[in-house]
Amino acid sequence: MTLPLHHPDEELLIGYASGQERAGKSLLVATHLAYCPDCRQRVASYEDLCGAWFEELPCPPHAGLDGLLDRMMAGLPAAAPVTAEAAPPRPAAAGPSSGRLVPEPLRSWLPEAIDTPTDDGTWREISRGVWLSGWERTLSGTRICLLRMAADAPVPAHRHTADELLLVLRGAFSDEYGRYALGDVAHYAGGTDHYARGASEEDCICLFLLDGDLIFLDEDGNPL
Amino acid sequence: MPSSRNPPLQGPQDQERSQDPDADRFGALVHAVAQSRDRTAFAALFRHFAPRILQYCLKLGVDRSTAEELVQDVMLTVWTKAGSFDSDQASVGTWVFTIARNRRIDRLRKEMRPAPDPDDPGMTPASLATPEESAQLVQSSRQLQEAIGSLVENQSEVLRRSYFLEQTHEEIAEDTEVPLGTVKTRLRLALGHLKRSMRDKA
Repeated sequence: MTLPLHHPDEELLIGYASGQERAGKSLLVATHLAYCPDCRQRVASYEDLCGAWFEELPCPPHAGLDGLLDRMMAGLPAAAPVTAEAAPPRPAAAGPSSGRLVPEPLRSWLPEAIDTPTDDGTWREISRGVWLSGWERTLSGTRICLLRMAADAPVPAHRHTADELLLVLRGAFSDEYGRYALGDVAHYAGGTDHYARGASEEDCICLFLLDGDLIFLDEDGNPL
Repeated sequence: MPSSRNPPLQGPQDQERSQDPDADRFGALVHAVAQSRDRTAFAALFRHFAPRILQYCLKLGVDRSTAEELVQDVMLTVWTKAGSFDSDQASVGTWVFTIARNRRIDRLRKEMRPAPDPDDPGMTPASLATPEESAQLVQSSRQLQEAIGSLVENQSEVLRRSYFLEQTHEEIAEDTEVPLGTVKTRLRLALGHLKRSMRDKA
């Protein structure tokens, strides 16, 4: 087993733990967490930190909540106690095939399977061997779609005005900073250049998040 | 998207938590609610946590009547979900915070908070890590705990205001009477301090 090597920035992990981060990037963080026991620990540590801050909130001695307590006590449902061992033990990851399953929460959110054929009209080829999914959704202001790269196919030069984030769901890609495989996150700040290309035998399929505009450039660096 | 669950995490950290007498006391109260629907225990939890939930919501700019509805909503969840509280995963305070956080997001942003599903077969369990990776996980967790514990006070405060109270840099500068540039520097230093504890950070 190789766990992810490239993680979301600390800002994203803390923002996810505190609830400050909005839904779009939280979807990417939460899906990375499904792949990454290390970041699950980190988020738990940041939740503990927030829990400590929560405990330390200064509370006036008379918060005026006695009436609410009385009303709640009168109406508490007498539901059967929920026992701690409600969840059955999870099978130790059902074989190697489980690595192929897109994990939650992304799986339920995706409008269709990630590995549909590239010639059935569900993908839009932006250059030879590089596609964007036909669907694009916006979540809390972040545009989300899939990016697919065939082996060694370079993503055309592009300019993005704000954050660009990739999460690998299948295969691997590489750029000048390293190689990104299953569950890895690449985070490019606005205005930066980077040169991604497919780096696995199978097509590399990534969740692709964009805060601002994306402009593909021609060979002379002019917007297409 | 599945509705947000509370701590989805298998965290090996914080053995020291049980040393805190308050933690034991609140844990026992939640246990009494879960096991025997103990109303007195619930009232004790309400008296401690309800004012905190209220303050949390008010600090985040929620109006008083909506804040009270959120208090009721969160405390009702404490009553009905007490059985799912696991003292190995989190303190009661952290557990209540995560419920309040999720309810607030659902209610005020009309958004679902995306969270992994611990029962999902697509999830990579920590048990699949190689022995070397497992050792790294333990070390990584300890390093982050140390980094959080060693944050300089004024950096921790900027972190708290920025992420927990969701204040803008400008609001922090005004509230703490510190120049805007200093606020930004402290936040950058705080994040850098935490980031350095991350293993194999790309």
